[in-house]
Amino acid sequence: MVASGKQSADPHRPSEILETLKRLGFGVAIAVPDSWLGEILVRIEHEPTMRLVRATHEEEALAIACGTRLGGVRTAMFVQNAGLLSMGAGMVSLAQRYQFPLLMLVSYRGTIEDPVFYHTPKGRVTEPVLRGLGVAHARADRARPIGPQVERAATYAEEACCPFALLLSQEDVQW
Amino acid sequence: MVNAARPSRADYYKALADTLPQHALVVTSLGNASYLWASMHHQPENFYFEDAMGLALPLALGLAIAQPRRPVIVVEGDGAVLMHMGALVTVGAVAPGNLTVLLIQNGVHAASGGQALTNANLDLAALALSAGIPRAKNVTTPDAFAAAMRESDGAGARFLVLSTKPDTEVVRPPIAFDPVLTKQRFMSAIGAPRYVPTMFGGGRLEHD
Repeated sequence: MVASGKQSADPHRPSEILETLKRLGFGVAIAVPDSWLGEILVRIEHEPTMRLVRATHEEEALAIACGTRLGGVRTAMFVQNAGLLSMGAGMVSLAQRYQFPLLMLVSYRGTIEDPVFYHTPKGRVTEPVLRGLGVAHARADRARPIGPQVERAATYAEEACCPFALLLSQEDVQW
Repeated sequence: MVNAARPSRADYYKALADTLPQHALVVTSLGNASYLWASMHHQPENFYFEDAMGLALPLALGLAIAQPRRPVIVVEGDGAVLMHMGALVTVGAVAPGNLTVLLIQNGVHAASGGQALTNANLDLAALALSAGIPRAKNVTTPDAFAAAMRESDGAGARFLVLSTKPDTEVVRPPIAFDPVLTKQRFMSAIGAPRYVPTMFGGGRLEHD
């Protein structure tokens, strides 16, 4: 957990995420919708250097991402934390077993900061489930610029040859 | 559709080996889909699944997106497709003209010993058509399959449902199925860029 009462220094954090992905050469984003993710996905869709694939389920999205990375394209995933809970089998038997480096940018619903309280059950178990699955992860620090945090998460995924989940707050990712 | 007299998986694989397009990349689902293909036509451009049932098709879709100039062929099972039917909709939406889906319809979960499917008699080609995959059809003979493989590319993915008799006896593959070796051998064969790290982050994928 990252505790912070400070306001972020950068003016628009979702823009920083997108610019960082472009700068690092991410060519594909695979996504399953969440209300916080809606606009950034539309922005990616309009990026000439990136391609957005809208999947029907997060485990399917994970497999598509493994395929694009297998084909040599740096790949990010945009999912809600509900998707982390539902992709467990594919995570361990495909992404981790074959050691695919994937950046997972996750809208972290159900924390104390989320105004929609029916997400609470997912927020409560997300990090314990990630630890149980052995998925490398971190919660983004809202007191620090988001771009370098995305870059470090992406670097971790490549250096460790594994998926890495960066858990994002509403102000990080909602455009 | 499942017919009474059905060819074997090996019959179709012989036809596949004979009609494999130049520079094709082949993804095979778990069990004999991978073991038999490795026995009959091992190449570094094969990506073999062990486990991860139902995810060969979406992985192949991603590969087709990343490698648009190369034909990508995926062998998936009917039970596996039933586990992730949403992937059909995604394939229909993305419409990759370089993707060929070979769906082994044997009416059972062959990889788990021949256990019954939830529904063994679905018209899976009709299902694919409904999901937005226009070039979908049922195939009942290796000759018809070979003819379909020789047809020129069109709009969207090609989706061939191969009526096949179950093969529940596990084939012993001739090679080690080390997953990381499989991946690295494949990526090396296609000349995929490799990650070039830097001391303080910001590494990139670069071609040698």
